[in-house]
Amino acid sequence: MIPAQFEYVAPKTLEDALRLVERHGDEAKILAGGHSLLPLMKLRLAQPRYVIDISRLHNMNYIREENGHIAIGALTTHAEIESSTLLRAKCPLLPETAAVIGDVQVRNRGTLGGSLAHADPAADYPAAALALDMEIIAASTAGTRTIPVREFFLDMLTTALRPGEILSQVRVAPRAPRTGTAYEKLHQPASGFAIVGVAVKLMLGSGGTVDDVAVGITGLGPKAFRATAVEKALRGKKAAEKLFEDAAHDAAQGIEPLSDLHASAEYRREMAVVHTRRALKRAFARAQGRA
Amino acid sequence: MKLAGRYVLPAAPTKVWALLTDPNRLAKLLPGCERLDPDGPDRFKAAVKFGIAAISGKYAGTIEFAEKKPPKSMRMKLSGKGVPGFVDGVSHIELAEKDGQTELRYTGEAQVGGMIASVGQRMIEGAARKIVDQFFAAAAEALKKNDT
Repeated sequence: MIPAQFEYVAPKTLEDALRLVERHGDEAKILAGGHSLLPLMKLRLAQPRYVIDISRLHNMNYIREENGHIAIGALTTHAEIESSTLLRAKCPLLPETAAVIGDVQVRNRGTLGGSLAHADPAADYPAAALALDMEIIAASTAGTRTIPVREFFLDMLTTALRPGEILSQVRVAPRAPRTGTAYEKLHQPASGFAIVGVAVKLMLGSGGTVDDVAVGITGLGPKAFRATAVEKALRGKKAAEKLFEDAAHDAAQGIEPLSDLHASAEYRREMAVVHTRRALKRAFARAQGRA
Repeated sequence: MKLAGRYVLPAAPTKVWALLTDPNRLAKLLPGCERLDPDGPDRFKAAVKFGIAAISGKYAGTIEFAEKKPPKSMRMKLSGKGVPGFVDGVSHIELAEKDGQTELRYTGEAQVGGMIASVGQRMIEGAARKIVDQFFAAAAEALKKNDT
């Protein structure tokens, strides 16, 4: 449980951190909250030569409204997201998701940016990020670029971040009227990770139709994804419990679910259907102002 | 852990067979393969570096072909050991011709143990699938180049 030898660097500014990341390339790992990286290092599954600790960078930990969207600094912890009054009012899906990540210690240390950049196939945020059409801001010495979240998760533990880039901020749109969101999760009791997690954003039209819907699913395959078959089955239809039940059956369409010690592929597939149904119904109730 | 899959490769079964049983060409297709040396008939010693993001490790092991029925089917045995853990696997590979191309089907079973199995359990199947996909994508690419 003792990591291999490594050089520890704790830059004070993002600019310094970016220069270090650029210089050391794939010999370096970025440390934010450390709740994914440190266990891997202690077991020597990861043996980076340099650990660049960005947890002390200033101005990377904030939640604020600007230019019509909500900007969240990459170092904002799960606990801060969970308790943010701004997010609870304007983007309640994120606090709802953060509240069910791991345990209190994990939520106090783990960060939004760290979780997204690590891209664990069973992490909770990716489902919510996809349902919210989040924008990911990547900084490098050359400047910043914006990555739509649908282009961000490439594979297990692999994102669209390029070498030399640090995820610095995410942006989400505030909740629109007649819109409800929900996150439903089946967690693995020991690790708290999602066996399946389903995030839904549902927007109702004035006539009670589903004007727009986004369904993000994590835990099922090697990366989180948008359940486009479910969305298609709902869009433009008259919202009703029966409609949600039928549409949820397509939750795992086109996906080959993973299987492990805790859940077989068949079980994961079934749980994806069940939790998609629950999330749709709850988002619907909230869109109507019932819950 | 059980794995199964199907790939269509752009060449006749005899050509696919030749590729899969040629250690020199095989070494280039295996993701992370650093060495593949003969170690008796149909048996090879391999040094492979597998890695996904932060988790990577070097493995030393053997690859063995058995029950060869060219160009139709064979069994492939794999075993490897490294710092993160060990892996033992057997797979059955079948080739069939389909419109001048080859349809390859495989079924396999692998045991993974050690550190990687106790903490990486959730990820192992995904990692294995990714490696197999990469291997056959490289094989398809090599066969395509051979043709032209």
